[in-house]
Amino acid sequence: MKPPRFDYRRAGSVADVLEELDSDPSGETKVLAGGQSLVTLMNLRLARPSRLVDIGGLDELARRFDDVDQVVLGSTLRHRLLETDPLIRRRLPLVAAAARHIGHVGIRNMGTLGGALAHADPAAELPMAMVALGADVYVESASRGRRRIPAERFFVSLFTTALQPDEIITWVGVPALGPLQGWGFVEYAPRHGDYAVAGAGCVLTLDVDGRIAGVRAALLAAADRPLLVGDPDDVMGELPDAGLWSRIGRHWAGRADPIGAEPEYVRALCGDALTEALGAAHRRAESSRSSRESA
Amino acid sequence: MNGSGRLVGTAVPRREDERLLAGRGRFVADLSAGAHCVVFLRSSQAHALIDDIDVRAAARMPGVLGVFTGADLGLERAAIGTLHDPHPAFVAATDFSMAEQRLPVLPVDRVQYVGQPVVAVVAVDRYAAEDALEAVEVSYTPLVPLVDPVEALRPGAPPIHPHLPDNEAATISIQVGDASVADIAVTVEGTYRIGRHGAVPLEGRGVLARADAQRVSIWTSTQIPHLVRRGICEATGWSTDEVRVVVPDVGGGFGTKANVYAEEIVVAALARITGTDLVWIEDRQEHLVSSAQGRDQTHRTRLSVDADGRILLWEDDFVIDIGAGCLWVAGVVANTGIHLLGPYRIPNARIRGRAAFTNKTIVAQYRGAGRPEACFALERSLDDAARRLGLTPEEIRRRNLLSAPDLPYALPLPYRDGVAISYDGGDYLACLDAVLEMLPRDGLEMLRARHPELVVGHGLGCYIEATGRGPFETARVRLTGSGRFEVASGAASAGQAHETVFAQVAADTLDVGLERILFRAADTDLVEHGVGTFASRSAVLAGSAVRRAAEELCRRGRDRAAKLLGVPECEVELGDGAFAARSGAVGSSVTWGELATACAPGGVQEDYGPLDVTEIYRPRTVTWTMGVHAAVVGVHRRTGAVSVLRYAVAHEGGVEINPQVVEGQIVGGVAQGIGGALLEEFRYTNDGQPLSTTFADYLLPGSCEVPEVLVRHLPVDTPGNPLGVRGAGESGAIAVGAALAGAVDDALGGRAHVTSTPIAPSVLRAALLAARCA
Repeated sequence: MKPPRFDYRRAGSVADVLEELDSDPSGETKVLAGGQSLVTLMNLRLARPSRLVDIGGLDELARRFDDVDQVVLGSTLRHRLLETDPLIRRRLPLVAAAARHIGHVGIRNMGTLGGALAHADPAAELPMAMVALGADVYVESASRGRRRIPAERFFVSLFTTALQPDEIITWVGVPALGPLQGWGFVEYAPRHGDYAVAGAGCVLTLDVDGRIAGVRAALLAAADRPLLVGDPDDVMGELPDAGLWSRIGRHWAGRADPIGAEPEYVRALCGDALTEALGAAHRRAESSRSSRESA
Repeated sequence: MNGSGRLVGTAVPRREDERLLAGRGRFVADLSAGAHCVVFLRSSQAHALIDDIDVRAAARMPGVLGVFTGADLGLERAAIGTLHDPHPAFVAATDFSMAEQRLPVLPVDRVQYVGQPVVAVVAVDRYAAEDALEAVEVSYTPLVPLVDPVEALRPGAPPIHPHLPDNEAATISIQVGDASVADIAVTVEGTYRIGRHGAVPLEGRGVLARADAQRVSIWTSTQIPHLVRRGICEATGWSTDEVRVVVPDVGGGFGTKANVYAEEIVVAALARITGTDLVWIEDRQEHLVSSAQGRDQTHRTRLSVDADGRILLWEDDFVIDIGAGCLWVAGVVANTGIHLLGPYRIPNARIRGRAAFTNKTIVAQYRGAGRPEACFALERSLDDAARRLGLTPEEIRRRNLLSAPDLPYALPLPYRDGVAISYDGGDYLACLDAVLEMLPRDGLEMLRARHPELVVGHGLGCYIEATGRGPFETARVRLTGSGRFEVASGAASAGQAHETVFAQVAADTLDVGLERILFRAADTDLVEHGVGTFASRSAVLAGSAVRRAAEELCRRGRDRAAKLLGVPECEVELGDGAFAARSGAVGSSVTWGELATACAPGGVQEDYGPLDVTEIYRPRTVTWTMGVHAAVVGVHRRTGAVSVLRYAVAHEGGVEINPQVVEGQIVGGVAQGIGGALLEEFRYTNDGQPLSTTFADYLLPGSCEVPEVLVRHLPVDTPGNPLGVRGAGESGAIAVGAALAGAVDDALGGRAHVTSTPIAPSVLRAALLAARCA
């Protein structure tokens, strides 16, 4: 389990790495950040880049900015920071919850947000969370500058994204949790830290009367990419009762097309995860609404 | 500090932990600085003819020192043979048969499983060597791969080993009593399957070899240094004087390293050819396809009981998938057959078993080696019969377990060593009582309240285990020049605390403190003959051998002390670490240190030579351990995933040399049992391609999956050996699958009956859904 020979260079700045990628028309140069997936694949000789540019030390991308209705996250932020940062926990609780489910602490200390999104494992937590939240992925290249790609269009298929060989992810704009909103994240894995068998994340918005005013939900491990599911019209204006979420969970998970050995089982678990996540989101939104009422 | 016979039986802290826990252990990879690197090209085919091996391009790669096929090493006709033949009396009594296995070292004509070593590359480092592996070209003509043992045994199936046309590795047949039985109230039939899993120790395998003008020395991560030496000699034709095998610190063996591997032979042979120090360290991917695996049995059972639940007739027809080979097939087949008779009164039994070759990775005696499989089949059948009769799992066991009036209990059958089987236990029912006292079935309500997402159940599993199998073990105790004692044995430690427990035995016998004992790791230079550590045997055999050797050293010491004191030998006593004349004046004594000085050059007893004793201990037969496991599990209402919430083991063992070490053996065994029951499986495609090749696919239990394990030891001495000990190395692993399956059945309110491991969450989810609909 040793990789083939490769060249390695530590990038000094974003401009530096973009230039590096721009000057390699072969597309052989790969960007290394936390190395938690790429280095494993290289050791297994399943990935064989001839050249690595390491952006893991780029502090300019290891920052986050609190904006009015969103938080902008730098792509080299480590999972562990997403999990523990008080601002992210308050403003992006779904992201923090998703990050907590990634591997083990050692992995989370190294792995980066941009790395997880660029790797595009359909069973990964952060891609699914970004799709559920309707985040925007900002990518940059030396020749074409910055592009903004909505998360659900960024993920194309198995380990494949809209990222071009000369581009890197620089920032991710994530809508912050608003008033009257609640979130849910549920994942089923054989052991804590394992690849998930099934999982769901969602954000639910209520109106002042407690009726559903908006919902976004996504599934992991349910297809060749993180899957945005559900038609908000199915529930718009409804006053949720206990039966609604299991009905909707099962219905929306029907779109799931899992890849593994037991697709029926996984699809059923997707429905369960979604049901649980929607229920949790509703409880949180309801608590936000009642605390507003009492205020 | 002087000893006074009080170290055996106390929980002396493990002496090796000072080193191991501080990161100062020296494993084989830690010894390899300066050695060149060996890596193996492994078969990508499950079953194929080798048409051609072209190593020319690889040999020209930078950093490559050589590329070798079996023919280049002169090993193309060399083979590794089985390591164990049962006694003729056992063969006759059980109609036992066994094929002559000749597992290739480096095959040149055909491959039998993915992962089989085919070509060895020697290079300056592992990077260069792995680059070269990609340049070796092997042309194969694929043959039909066989991954189903029943298919493999079918007449007309293509032979995996051409000289063994029927793919049958071994057979056994055991008859007890009569098959025509009256008063049957219930007969339950089942097909029980125990999946393929294995030890997967923290440290993989590894071999370091160094040749000089006289011989080759190898440091290998093994449990059986003397058998490895024999394997190397048989394959190469070298004499045993030309091979030294040393065992450094070993990070777990569990039977996987109680094996002679092709890599050990090849690295030794290459060291002689190249004249350089060579090392091969197995990486985890290699480990998961090429280290010997275990279990993989299917049992077709029929259990008949009377209206009270008493066993009348027990029938089982089992098939073991040993992959491309198993050097211990006799052990696995015989263990399975014998232990199917369980710790119960079973008046009539008909057992038939076969082991089949398939195109999967080779198999070893993984912890339990047939016992967990036998236990699963019998315990599951008992639970099924109990349910049909409306009895609790506890009650049906209570009515069948052997208790004090029954014991010792003779079976009309010899053990593998040819000696008639007699369970030398005290009261097996007491283990059931003890485990239920620790973990009663009532009292689950609190867990149910705490875990509303789980359905909760309680299960039991009883086991019996033959421990301390012969034929012999050797130990050596030597008085050093400084008056301390060097202790060595043929049993190599893979984590069993030999450094502590054998020192306890020696210190007590020699009447000195523990700090006077220098335990030496296994080395064929220290002890000429040995067998190894496996089959729950080391405490019994090596421990008894250490005791014998230390006793003999005392006898000789007394003899010499008598001469120094000028009194007859019968007048001399050993006390407080010194020999004194019983009637002598105060102060007239001889210490061990004075004896050491006396026999050193220039000493008054120089002519007598050193005090150095090697003893062989040969037990009459095995001694039996029994125990009961109790488990409380929760099955997740949505996923069907099983969590182990509570676990307890009560076992009947002998003298505990070190209670903490015994408890550690039990707890570790339970952890491995939980892995096999719930998570671990070596899966293969229908073409024989392995699917569990990384830790993302082969799931091991971690600290979150293994609860605290309560252990109660019920001591029953055995007269079978000088220490009164019974083996405990495998006990913890044996009944876990049975206990967890019983607990799952209970959690599901009897709506499901678990028949295979690892227990599939999807199946439990379906059962839970069906229950909800019903």
